[in-house]
Amino acid sequence: MAEDHESMSPTKIGFGILWPACWTAIVVKSVFAVLLLTMGLVHFEGTFGLAFVMLFFSPVTVFSIPLIMAMFGAHFGEGIGLEILFWLSIPVDIWALGLVARTFFLERLRKEPPDALGLAIWWRSALVGAFFLPVVWGMVSFVTDNAMTASHSMAEMESLRHITDTGLPVAERISLELTIWGSISSAVLIALSLIGISILGQIIRGMAIESRPASENYQGLITRWDLMRVPTDQGLLFTSLAGVGIVFSLMFWSILPVTTPHPHECCKKPDVQVEPVLKPVESLSSSAQRVATLAAQIEAMEQQKVSTKGQKAKAKGKTQGGATADSTAKTKP
Amino acid sequence: MLQPKLKSKVRCTDLDIGEVSKVVLDPLSHEISHIVVSMNGNGERQVAMGHVQAVTEDLVQLGAPSHDILALPPFKREDYVTTHEVEISHLEDNIHVTPGEVLVPLPDLEKNVKRRTFFMNFTHVIGFLIGLPIAFPILRFLMKPMYADFDNQWLNVGNVSQIKKEDVGVQFEYKKKVKEVYMPEYEVEKNVWVVRATPELLEKVYQGKDEEFRDAKGKVLWTNKKEIPYIAFSGKCPHLGCAYKWRNHKALGPVFLCPCHLSIYSAGGNVLDGPAPRGLDALPLRVSAGGEVEIIDMEFKAGTKAQVRIV
Amino acid sequence: MDSKHSSPATIPDHQPSTIEKLVAFLDERVGLKEMQAKMLNEPIPGGSRWAYVFGSILLFIFAMQALTGTLLMFYYVPTTDHAYDSTQYIIHDVDYGWFLLGYHFWGSSAMVVCVVAHMSQVFLWGAYKKPRELLWLVGLALFGIVITFGFTGYLLPWDQRAFWATTVGVEILDKTPVIGDFIARFLKGGPTPGQMTLSRFFVLHVMILPAALMALAGLHLFLFRVAAPAGPFSGTTEEIKAKTDYFFPRQIWKDMVGMAFVFAGICALALWEPVVLLDQAAPDPGEYHPEPEWYFLFYFQLLRLKIFAGEFGQFLGAVALPVAFMALLVALPFIDKDPERNIFKRPIALISWIAIMVFIVLFTIASVINREFLD
Repeated sequence: MAEDHESMSPTKIGFGILWPACWTAIVVKSVFAVLLLTMGLVHFEGTFGLAFVMLFFSPVTVFSIPLIMAMFGAHFGEGIGLEILFWLSIPVDIWALGLVARTFFLERLRKEPPDALGLAIWWRSALVGAFFLPVVWGMVSFVTDNAMTASHSMAEMESLRHITDTGLPVAERISLELTIWGSISSAVLIALSLIGISILGQIIRGMAIESRPASENYQGLITRWDLMRVPTDQGLLFTSLAGVGIVFSLMFWSILPVTTPHPHECCKKPDVQVEPVLKPVESLSSSAQRVATLAAQIEAMEQQKVSTKGQKAKAKGKTQGGATADSTAKTKP
Repeated sequence: MLQPKLKSKVRCTDLDIGEVSKVVLDPLSHEISHIVVSMNGNGERQVAMGHVQAVTEDLVQLGAPSHDILALPPFKREDYVTTHEVEISHLEDNIHVTPGEVLVPLPDLEKNVKRRTFFMNFTHVIGFLIGLPIAFPILRFLMKPMYADFDNQWLNVGNVSQIKKEDVGVQFEYKKKVKEVYMPEYEVEKNVWVVRATPELLEKVYQGKDEEFRDAKGKVLWTNKKEIPYIAFSGKCPHLGCAYKWRNHKALGPVFLCPCHLSIYSAGGNVLDGPAPRGLDALPLRVSAGGEVEIIDMEFKAGTKAQVRIV
Repeated sequence: MDSKHSSPATIPDHQPSTIEKLVAFLDERVGLKEMQAKMLNEPIPGGSRWAYVFGSILLFIFAMQALTGTLLMFYYVPTTDHAYDSTQYIIHDVDYGWFLLGYHFWGSSAMVVCVVAHMSQVFLWGAYKKPRELLWLVGLALFGIVITFGFTGYLLPWDQRAFWATTVGVEILDKTPVIGDFIARFLKGGPTPGQMTLSRFFVLHVMILPAALMALAGLHLFLFRVAAPAGPFSGTTEEIKAKTDYFFPRQIWKDMVGMAFVFAGICALALWEPVVLLDQAAPDPGEYHPEPEWYFLFYFQLLRLKIFAGEFGQFLGAVALPVAFMALLVALPFIDKDPERNIFKRPIALISWIAIMVFIVLFTIASVINREFLD
């Protein structure tokens, strides 16, 4: 926009850098996210949307998330994958912020971007976020809870006042309550977000004021930031990118579950029971051995019977003989 | 010779008569057939290219005197259409009659060739990396039913009491239950040939070695012992899968005979004659104490020398 | 052939490679170079923008839906006795079947989201105004086709959710005056939903709608080319000229990155929430509370309001309101003749858009809250 660059509002500056940087970064982060999801290292259940928003704004949320989780017991997902994602997002955000900020400095602020601009903006955003976001979280939660209660009682009153018998119908009631607390909650969230972005914008404006003005004319600036995106060694970039992509694809192929991770009741796979290995020859020979052993035992006992004239020995021999006769019949194929 | 340019002067042998206002192309040869000369307010004349002697950037020299040109009939515009009103392919490929060029500026950002190739290659790489991850799952998805596991259950096909003579093929018909994935179960009728073999035949068939059947992993599934006098053969001829019969052959005596292409096998399954690439396929067989014959149903690829199990 | 091509004169290679010879062969016969130049070298005033990627992304999503859909058809059987079992077979037994089905399922949601994003972008940029009225109309037809895709595809697994969402949806269509009963019977293939319904929805979903979409999308692209990209709604001529570049390579590259992001997003959704079927469709809904797909929920909730109860109320909510809204959209380029395209200078447009988006979000959340009150 053609306007006086020196007096650009801090909110415009903050938003003009944060918004494109988040979109630039999320593309790379999403690839990591898919890989981690495939590995089963992260589960979201109902918090998928919230986790996505937090990941999207990772330049400001990266240090505030552990604080929010600790202070408010908030829950964004299960598994170490989420932590890994946020660690991975740090270099991605630094790169994205650098790219976007340099473009912004050149085109919109007409200033020479200082060195290591990405890192400079990143740690400041992360710090601001670490302080500011838990405040936002707390306030918005507080306002939402109270607004919900207030709108609930308001709806109760409405239904008692106007419609005497059944009260406000459910759908109308929900819409009424939702509108009331929803708008209050959203308004607070938007207002606080704008304040936060403005703070960021002021910091960046401070950095811009200290920078030298860029010397080129408008076309020159546009061409410069456009060509900034073309690497000097294209071959290296493409080989590395293709290489990483191929490695990730191979990983993906090997870890993607072959069958659904959420089986339906109808088709849960039965627990595989390891059947004892059938060795017919061995079992035959072992049975034969058993027969032989038992036969030998019978012989021995009969000899005992002969040698020791006791009725107990006779009975033992009879039962054992009966038993062996049965087992012999069973082992026939 | 250069092509006559629009708006260039036209000069006869004696004087300048006007300028080129139009050019007519021949639709078949795609060449300029005529120029139309506008004579400073005195109408237009269509002049064949044959009259043109020489052409420079801004002048067309005709080889005829002006009164010859004036004598030509007036140009009838209604007999012609512009090249935009008709679809004649490649018509203007070799026509350059406009003096000069009509240009548009190249945007500043497009002037860098390295930039263009960078983003083009980047686009290709990303496109490739979108397709690559799904290639393998898609392939496996499509291949799922192609190499299904074998069903190795024992099936009761009949009783040995059906066999009255030794060394003779007896057909045992049985029903097999089939369930294909989510389809309802149905029955197919199948048959095997069972032979009660004499020791001489057993010797010929087994040649001193028990026959082992292995599963897909190489583990032994079952062993047909060479002492057991019963042999079961798959009902499909190993040549091309037809159902064969037990017949009396004029020269070879009682044999297994396939009616499709006349493969002939002995009672022990060896090939005696015909196009069969291998002998009859024996199946795992066991006989219970009561004489019930059980087999594991297997099917093998037809037409190959090696025995390859497919079902 | 030389003056036709605007590429700067280069020192010709004395040994053209095989590819170059092939290209020259094709160029001589087909006019390849010129066609390529005309297709790719389309200047975008104000330069390529990320905001413009949604159209190409929609094309990509459609291609992926066609691919995954075709793959699913290798195993899916569209009969009432096998639809459910064959879908379960895909989910539980076929290698990666769950993933491809999940991609197809979430891809359809992504398509609806992107269609709304695309329409919003066009609306906010005022790119429906003269001379782009026809583009807008064809786009609305495409929108209708996308919604119908979602509606017809939802029935195919033939579980309780599918069956009852369709039953309720067709009942709503039935309320159209005069032709409602005919339409409902046509879709159901009879008085009640059954095999005929499944067959019709299947044919619509895999044959008729794809053909219609491809034809209209082709027309949409043609009209877009003829009308030229509208470009940004603000900026001085100097700024616009300085940033102008061609469709190729920058916009194509941005489109591709957008496609990659949407692809990753759909994969992530398929991995997060794989498709799980309810019980097989039965004439009695039992414990199940019928609900349409999530992108219809706002409308589903709206119809629960008491003003849409009773016969007239049903007519109002099910027929009059949506028809009126669609009619408004159709008439939009003809009502809004003001050539101003800057959204910040079109307060009615901006406020209407925000209001509609808020309304959709509000009622979607309301319908989720309403679930707790159903027992």
